[in-house]
Amino acid sequence: MNVKEPSVCISDEEISNFEDLARKYAQRSVLPMFEGEYPDGNLSFLHGLMDTAFQIGLAATPDASSENNYFGVWGSATADIGIKSSIVILSSIAETCGGIAMCLHAQGVATNIFLKSRNSADKSLLRAGLALQEGMWPPVWETFSSSSNDSGIVLETTFEAKSSSYILNGTKSFVYSLNPPDGYVVFARDEKGWGCFIVPSYAPGILRKDAGARTGLRACQVEHVEFKNVEVPKQARIDYRGNAIKLAKLSMFINWSGMSAIAVGITKGAIKAAKKYATERYQGGTLIENHPIVKSLLSSSDALAKSAEAILSSLTEYTIISDKALARAAGVKLTVMDLCAKAVTDSLQVFGGYGYMEDFGMEKRLREITVLKSASGSPVYLKQLIADIEKENEK
Amino acid sequence: MNLAKDNSLHERIEQLNPRNAVKNMNLIGRMLLDGREMSLWEHDTATLPGSVRRLRRRARSFAQKHIRPLAPYADLHPHDYDPKPLLKAAAKEGFLNTLLPMPFGGVSFLPYFKSIGFQIAIIAEEFATECGGLGLLLMSHSLGVGPFALSGSVHTYLRHLLPLYIKTRYLGKPECMAFCITEPGAGSDVEESEGGAMAKLVTTAKYDPELKGYILNGQKCFISNGAIADKVTVFARIENEGIESWTCFLVEKGMKGFSVGRSERKMGQRASDASELIFEDVFIPKKNVIGKLRSGWANNRNVLNYSRPSVGAMALGHGRGAFERCLEFCKNTNLGRKKLIEYQEVQYELADMAMSLWSARSMIWQSCQELRCYQSVSASAKVIASDTAFKVCNQAMELMGDHGYVHSNGVERAMRDSRLTQIYEGTNQINRLALFEHQQSSDFKL
Repeated sequence: MNVKEPSVCISDEEISNFEDLARKYAQRSVLPMFEGEYPDGNLSFLHGLMDTAFQIGLAATPDASSENNYFGVWGSATADIGIKSSIVILSSIAETCGGIAMCLHAQGVATNIFLKSRNSADKSLLRAGLALQEGMWPPVWETFSSSSNDSGIVLETTFEAKSSSYILNGTKSFVYSLNPPDGYVVFARDEKGWGCFIVPSYAPGILRKDAGARTGLRACQVEHVEFKNVEVPKQARIDYRGNAIKLAKLSMFINWSGMSAIAVGITKGAIKAAKKYATERYQGGTLIENHPIVKSLLSSSDALAKSAEAILSSLTEYTIISDKALARAAGVKLTVMDLCAKAVTDSLQVFGGYGYMEDFGMEKRLREITVLKSASGSPVYLKQLIADIEKENEK
Repeated sequence: MNLAKDNSLHERIEQLNPRNAVKNMNLIGRMLLDGREMSLWEHDTATLPGSVRRLRRRARSFAQKHIRPLAPYADLHPHDYDPKPLLKAAAKEGFLNTLLPMPFGGVSFLPYFKSIGFQIAIIAEEFATECGGLGLLLMSHSLGVGPFALSGSVHTYLRHLLPLYIKTRYLGKPECMAFCITEPGAGSDVEESEGGAMAKLVTTAKYDPELKGYILNGQKCFISNGAIADKVTVFARIENEGIESWTCFLVEKGMKGFSVGRSERKMGQRASDASELIFEDVFIPKKNVIGKLRSGWANNRNVLNYSRPSVGAMALGHGRGAFERCLEFCKNTNLGRKKLIEYQEVQYELADMAMSLWSARSMIWQSCQELRCYQSVSASAKVIASDTAFKVCNQAMELMGDHGYVHSNGVERAMRDSRLTQIYEGTNQINRLALFEHQQSSDFKL
């Protein structure tokens, strides 16, 4: 496989078409799941929702022959057209539901790596999850640089080559996927370096454990997956000439870009809801949209969201999958999450006590943005990673 | 060779630690350096008068014994747990009788007459450290009793407050109370003067000369403990009059026409219900008028003066709970060969969180320096503590990475709990205006 620069330009009109499609999907398919008293939507709708997403091309599938899924969220065309279309789709859907956007995104990140396999993909593995992270964070920088280092931080999942297969051992944590996943894209190492494998979720030796009750993004499955002497055939290895680390970095780049896009979408949804509420709610005999403090909360939220959006769109200029781009994506996640969290909490404040109740969906947005901030690389981790990459670049 | 070098460096660093370096000073110099190895909590506790020190330890121990084990379940299943054993245990310890000193109340006599609100704030922090929802359950009882205590009416003290406290403390029959001011169309309105003047209030009381009492009609919402309270203090305007006529009435469970509507589905503090209360021609006997007629607005505002430091203390507790659980995580979790807490970036964050909490506690304790809590200082304590708590909870979650948002670690619960403290008892925006209002005739005078 090759990790290459985007080579095909996508027009603004085409981007706008993707946006329209995503909005229609959100309105027609996602919105009905919020009828009734469900804090995170009626999750029994999930299967149908995802099937629709697959059919209309919003979700990528590991089936490389399917043209329908070429452009979808992180579909195989991403390498050719760049990240803009997926970002727009995720952001548009997240305005209605961050959890559903995260489902599509998690599927897309794993599938994007899956599709880079030079081997024929197993079409039975429709739903995939990325199994990169171990413990509390994604790999720290020194994990990439050598197999042994002073701190002792290494990728702990290992593989061992047998005559016609590989044996995997280790535990991956916080694996996001559609529920239930058919397989995982697993990163592991041996004494020579990293490898990347496609592992079916039903393979003997796999122990899956749900991450348990979580703050938000509950539509998406999150689990810890243990690999105990899991045997996979030789062709399950999808990296090529030792580029597994490059694949891991690519997955991190895509993951953070998508999460930032979801955060921006959630924020835009929160501001829209707050503005609408401000035009309907009276306090002290006047509509609250006329109260100076409410105006101030709304305008500052708006400014924060627009800044976040601008920072996110700067990422689309980074066409080269490089360490510099990875640092940029980390920086974008770091900044965008901060701006969006502030904007969402300010928007919630406009609702007063009602913002804290499940009825208006604002508390859900706050929960979701809070999860996004900590998930797959929290600010503490991102700051260190950026510093490490910058230091490496200076060398 | 390197190992020897490392050891020598380690020894030198140890020697340079002021704790050890002080040995090179003379006796007086050594005495002037406070090198005691004790937690921040112990340091703060040591500054308190003996009886308050004991109260703080007692409250912490109660919270760890009774609140901690119940907290995760009560948060996940707020409708499936029984709050009564907890209320009973708290009553036995005197934690439901915090508005009077001993022998009727549960707080110490002399410190009470130095600051009425301080000991309540001490208890509130300890309870909320373990669980925001269960902490609210216990503390909002005192909020419900607040109008009794601050009414200034001897009749109310003798008829309602003392019997309630005796029943709770000595007869082992605690009665849960709730405080009702918020209405569907008037939230923060009723927590500041300008909003109050323009508020559209629907709850009214009409005097019935034949029955010699009042007929109450209307609706209240977001009432903490509303669904489980045995008695509620309800504020209503007299019919055909404005909010100036607000009067506090005691409404008891079982009174005809009094019912509980829907319980809200909240983001946090879920172990305590927030319910709608409906009053349909509820007859209130004259004896259940709390304080003077038309004194309700002033009473309400003063209740808020006394309760806001405690709300700040509860927020502080949420932040402290998140911090303590995050600290445990950092001590127990390895990253490579080291524990998380051994990394400088982690130490930096933990220290920052501890400093923030300390500053919030200083503000709360400052707000209780005088006998009476006043508007500016109470509002400031509430705003600073709640903003700090939400910030610290987020820091704790971020430090723990993906583990931060997992319910079983208890940190995300504190984050959800803390967010409400920026909203209730007047949003933090309203509280800023409260400070301005109070200082308008002095600091902010034109």
